[in-house]
Amino acid sequence: MFETLTIYFAKKPVPCFAVIITLLPLTLIFVRKAYLDPSFKLLVFYLLLKFAIDIFMVHSAALQKNNIIYYNLSIPLYYCLISGMFYYKLSGTYSRKIVVYSMLVFSSFCIWEIFNANSNIRDLYNHRAVLYSKTIEGVLINSWILLYFYELIKSLRIPNLLNFPFFWVCSGLLLYYSSFIFIAPALHYTATWSGSLDLGVTRIIPYIFEILSAIMFSVGIYHFSAADYAKQ
Amino acid sequence: MQNSEELKWALLIASLAMLTMAFCMISFVMYYQKRRFEEEKRISDIEKNYNRLLLDTALNSEETERRRIAQDLHDDIGTMLSLTKLSLNQLSKMVGNSGNEKEDQIMKKSQTLVEETILHVRRITRDLVPTTLERFGLMEAIEEFIHKLEEDNNLAITFQANTDDFPRQGQKLELTLYRIMQELVNNAIKHASCSKIDIRLEINDQMIGLKVTDNGVGFDPEKIKENNLAGLGLLGIESRLAIVNGTVQYEKPEKGGASAFAQIPMMPVSDSKPEPLHPFRRERVNI
Repeated sequence: MFETLTIYFAKKPVPCFAVIITLLPLTLIFVRKAYLDPSFKLLVFYLLLKFAIDIFMVHSAALQKNNIIYYNLSIPLYYCLISGMFYYKLSGTYSRKIVVYSMLVFSSFCIWEIFNANSNIRDLYNHRAVLYSKTIEGVLINSWILLYFYELIKSLRIPNLLNFPFFWVCSGLLLYYSSFIFIAPALHYTATWSGSLDLGVTRIIPYIFEILSAIMFSVGIYHFSAADYAKQ
Repeated sequence: MQNSEELKWALLIASLAMLTMAFCMISFVMYYQKRRFEEEKRISDIEKNYNRLLLDTALNSEETERRRIAQDLHDDIGTMLSLTKLSLNQLSKMVGNSGNEKEDQIMKKSQTLVEETILHVRRITRDLVPTTLERFGLMEAIEEFIHKLEEDNNLAITFQANTDDFPRQGQKLELTLYRIMQELVNNAIKHASCSKIDIRLEINDQMIGLKVTDNGVGFDPEKIKENNLAGLGLLGIESRLAIVNGTVQYEKPEKGGASAFAQIPMMPVSDSKPEPLHPFRRERVNI
């Protein structure tokens, strides 16, 4: 198994590095005790889940197995965890309510779409990626980020954004989801056994920004101070 | 095949456009936040200056009002009392000639009361407007203030300056230092139960410092300021200092008591001087 993984890592270095680098923010969260903040606690769960799913996907891909089921199932889980972070960070009561409702509606939609995109759900060999869910997830998360930025500007609570941990997390997420919004629907058609369409270098863009977002998470977590958080 | 190439390019361009927008959004948030902070700081500075101006005007009005009351006491009541004293002297001579001892006793008592009242009016007038400060400067005014206090209280007050020839300063600065000294010494007498007060005046090229130390019970300035009424004196000191960009530090020396050190940056000396107390003058003082 290890040998298969090594061969796959050598064959696809960028996607594999995007998986490995998840360990950097994850380690930093424990070192800097960022998990004290409820939003960062959810970020821990997100990163752990992401790392586990990515490892499963890499393992399946190395064994030439269809791993799209993991990708499809990860969408509602990632959305719930990331929007949960904004539930704690947004100050408006209405926005927080909308975040909670969106979790329920989006998760339901996503599960419906998984069934809709795969007429025979038991056939994992020919399992296909969802068409709209990932794009909708990106749009929704980008909306929460922009709403949070709006609140941040309006309240003038943070004198220097570059020292503010959650600003870096938001920036990382914004870049990652922006890079994926247009590519995600194409995966429905390209990620098949018989898919003749290859996206080429375009397929690499989300991985590059996944790496960048992990680095930005790490920078943000590095700026987290447990002592300052306790004072708040 | 051509369609697939076009799709790839379209996806690439759309993704890059989206990423550019995301980058722009992050940069905009950072830039806008910085701009808003600068704007807020500017508004806060304007508000601070306005409050300082307001405080300055209030203190000027207070000094003007003190001067007006002193003028009235000096010109009206003082003159009337002097005339009363003269009339009583004349009446005393007439009563003395009549030989009635009881009438003579009442007359002498009345004369004593009028003389005491004249002395009180003079003292109040002097307290209201520190004429010595205006005429001779800060050192002489402080010495006179100490002299009067030592007469009335059982206190040992020492005064030292780091120079014998203390140069005259602007009226506002001298008056500020004098009033702060008055407030600190009065506080020490009223609240500290002290037996010794030390006043030090220090001057150098940039700053003038005033240090008042007592051997009383000491105090915690923060706790006193929390108590709205009791902290008025200290707030008054800080308000006066804020107008002249001064600062004050309170310390609790290890050997006991309390110490306050006020520092004011040197200011250019203005030529305008307030008019001395003068009959029939009613002018506003611009300090």
